[in-house]
Amino acid sequence: MKCPPYAMSMRIVDGKCAKFQLWFPLFILWPLALPFLLLTVIAALFADLFSLISLHKPGYTRFLFGVLGTVSETRGTEVFIQDKSHHSRIVAFTLR
Amino acid sequence: MGDDRNRILDLLAAGKITAEEAARLLDALEANPAQAAGAETSAGTGAKTGWPKFFSSGAKATERTGATGTAKFMYVKVVSGQGDNVNVKIPLALLRAGLKLTSLIPAQAQDQINKTMAEKGMAFDLNNFKPEDLEELIDALREMEVDVDAANGDKVHVYAA
Repeated sequence: MKCPPYAMSMRIVDGKCAKFQLWFPLFILWPLALPFLLLTVIAALFADLFSLISLHKPGYTRFLFGVLGTVSETRGTEVFIQDKSHHSRIVAFTLR
Repeated sequence: MGDDRNRILDLLAAGKITAEEAARLLDALEANPAQAAGAETSAGTGAKTGWPKFFSSGAKATERTGATGTAKFMYVKVVSGQGDNVNVKIPLALLRAGLKLTSLIPAQAQDQINKTMAEKGMAFDLNNFKPEDLEELIDALREMEVDVDAANGDKVHVYAA
């Protein structure tokens, strides 16, 4: 599996006066997210178990890993917005 | 024009472009010799220079995808008549993962989603999404190009590169 986004950068420029730049290392959130992820996996496994008992096709755990895969694939997303009518405001967002 | 044709054939012989790309370039050459010459140069140098710079404009699908013909990103570029710009670059792998995710939605949840969507007037069955169709869909997206020129000067360009 691909690793999830490890950094996020954001840049907001409002004409020539205001400027905001942020580079956030998302990887420091990974250890914080791990316990939550483990709990969710356990809950999904239980849901699958109950699905099996009730003769339904289990798929919650697979879906959960699919969501994780989708989140990982967000790396490389870039958004750039330039609003010339408001002091040429620029908002740029990147996920790495 | 004869030189251009030979260069396309040389690129094909060297394996830098596929037969399909060569056919397109030759077709374009017949339709518009000047434009095709530019596209051919781009296709030939694609393998050396890597992917085109973010949000380069005015390029055709064949020249953007380069020698390998494998697009990695989908670009949405909006330019309004007032000069406002919106550029979005989305990895095609994200689209693939997102579409695959729909096929991983548990059956009970899918039925509920289908029912709700039908109530809202969208007869869209998620059960129809098959993994083999997804690959075909992604391949089709690589070739997709949408150009919208509104009367008020707004322009929307969606393409994969």
